[in-house]
Amino acid sequence: MAETIVKIRELTKLYAQGEIQVTALDRIALDIAAGEFLALMGPSGSGKSTLLHIIAGVDRPTSGECLVQGVDVTKLNESELADWRNQNVGFVFQTFNLIPVLTAFENVELPLLLTQLGRAQRRKQVEAALDLVGLADRMHHLPKQLSGGQEQRVAIARALVTDPKLVVADEPTGNLDSHSAHEVLGILQSLSQQAGKTVIMVTHDPKAAAFGSRSIHLEKGELTR
Amino acid sequence: MNLPGFVIRNAFRNKRRFALSVSSVAASLFLLVMLQVALRELTNPINDEGSSLRIIVRNKVSLAQPLPARQLQRLDKIPGIVTVSPFSFYGGLYKGDEKFTSFAQFAVDPKRTLPLLSDAKIPKEQLAAWIADQTSCIVGQMTADRYGLKIGDRMQFTGQIYPCDLDLKIAGFYHGTADDRNLMFHQKYLDELLGDPGTVGTWWVLAASVAEAPLVTERINQAFANSSAEVRAESERAFVLGFVSMWANIKTLIGGISIVVIFALLLVTVSTMSMAIRERFRELAILKAIGFRRRELFAFILAESFGLAMCGAVLGAGGAWVVFHSLDIQKLSNGLFVMFEVTPRLMGLAFSVAALLGVVAAIAPMFTVARTSVVEGLKTLD
Ligand SMILES: Nc1ncnc2c1ncn2[C@@H]1O[C@H](COP(=O)(O)OP(=O)(O)O)[C@@H](O)[C@H]1O
Ligand SMILES: [Mg+2]
Repeated sequence: MAETIVKIRELTKLYAQGEIQVTALDRIALDIAAGEFLALMGPSGSGKSTLLHIIAGVDRPTSGECLVQGVDVTKLNESELADWRNQNVGFVFQTFNLIPVLTAFENVELPLLLTQLGRAQRRKQVEAALDLVGLADRMHHLPKQLSGGQEQRVAIARALVTDPKLVVADEPTGNLDSHSAHEVLGILQSLSQQAGKTVIMVTHDPKAAAFGSRSIHLEKGELTR
Repeated sequence: MNLPGFVIRNAFRNKRRFALSVSSVAASLFLLVMLQVALRELTNPINDEGSSLRIIVRNKVSLAQPLPARQLQRLDKIPGIVTVSPFSFYGGLYKGDEKFTSFAQFAVDPKRTLPLLSDAKIPKEQLAAWIADQTSCIVGQMTADRYGLKIGDRMQFTGQIYPCDLDLKIAGFYHGTADDRNLMFHQKYLDELLGDPGTVGTWWVLAASVAEAPLVTERINQAFANSSAEVRAESERAFVLGFVSMWANIKTLIGGISIVVIFALLLVTVSTMSMAIRERFRELAILKAIGFRRRELFAFILAESFGLAMCGAVLGAGGAWVVFHSLDIQKLSNGLFVMFEVTPRLMGLAFSVAALLGVVAAIAPMFTVARTSVVEGLKTLD
């Protein structure tokens, strides 16, 4: 059994909407092994994004713990979290992922600007990441000159460029045609199978989930299986 | 790419808005510099020694009230005075001009006027001719050029203030004063036309030194205190300024306009920055997710805002400097302004205002960015 990279216990997230309290996550317990490609499924509003955001360190739970590689991300302060995200997490969102004024190369380079890496080293890593998603020839294109699938692949390259352990994707194929979706899912799959990354993907599409090594279901903030 | 490169790329993402914002900042700063230069010139007397030596003595009641001619004997005895001449504003309409004559006509005592016209250049024989002929006059070069006047020409004026018309022969032309437009003729001639009323408009006094000028002013005021015609003596510069403030309190006005300009400037920069940041909300959230910290995002916003304001300052204040250095303001303002100098201090003021605006405009967006979490940011447009 591979090491556990994410360990979640009693994780609860409440939202106060006026008088009413919404329970987005209800005492979740979950272990994710290193190298897994986990599909996080469930209907809209079931708490998928909330869970993903807490694991990725951009949101905080109301109670419970979330250990990623042994670090309790719920206990880090803002600035520590920012550094932690930069080094450990790669993000892919549903849409509008890229900075429109930057080329594909520059978008991918962005997370590296926060590191100590020199120009040449940055260039090497950016090129490698773009190569991996099959877009080495589109390096100097602006997002608007790319198709939706290509944009999403650039976003994956940006998520990979810092070589994080964890890649999180929130409905990465939600806005793509089936061919592009297939490409993107294939890349995410190879990340876990070949590069040994842990990939957590939110989706409500069973066909997308089939690319994962495991899928779990959320329903009204609770894990059902 | 590097972080400064990223800031520049962001600033130029909406080129038209950037250009418009920079232009409006530039235009406002240009206006601000112009107003401040004008204000400075109106409040700080120019370093023209002659104008601080010359003192104008007028009736304390109002400028329109004449002064008794007999005051001359008393003035002649006041220490520190080099010379005194009558100086009566005739204010007539030059034949041919319909509503307004662009140059003033003053009745003076030519023999006493020469030292008063210290900086004026006038050929000796012309001056002598003027002194010799009671119906002659001398005319400033600007007026001579404007009307194409020659020596020996006659000039007719219709009285607007005095109930008499003038018919003057040109004896000479002068130039080299701060305002080479005025015409000067004999007070005696005016007296004769009016039937010797024994009055003059004002007295024109030359003090012996700049240091003594304020004392002389004081002595003159004292000398006629409690007399039937009390006077108000003031330096020529102050007198001119008094003229200006007769129709508007220019200083307050300029101060007020400047504040409005700065306020407009503030609105422009603040709204530009708020717009620029609001439309990038989601991107800022993504940057945060990637690992950019608040302080880095603050730096981006501040740099962009500051850069915008500074571009405006370079164009606006720099533009003002270039324009006012290359234009002949004295001619354009009909002699109201002489130097119109954009001083380093005023440039500093313009740039400080811009810098301050740049910082202030960044504050609101910085707060918004600090307050918004990644998750909230991602929700916009999702
Ligand atoms: N900022 C918020 N304020 C109040 N309720 C929220 C907020 N964000 C999410 N929720 C609620 O939490 C629940 C889970 O949301 P989310 O994780 O986005 O669902 P999913 O991604 O599965 O569609 C939903 O009922 C949603 O309405
Ligand atoms: Mg969601």
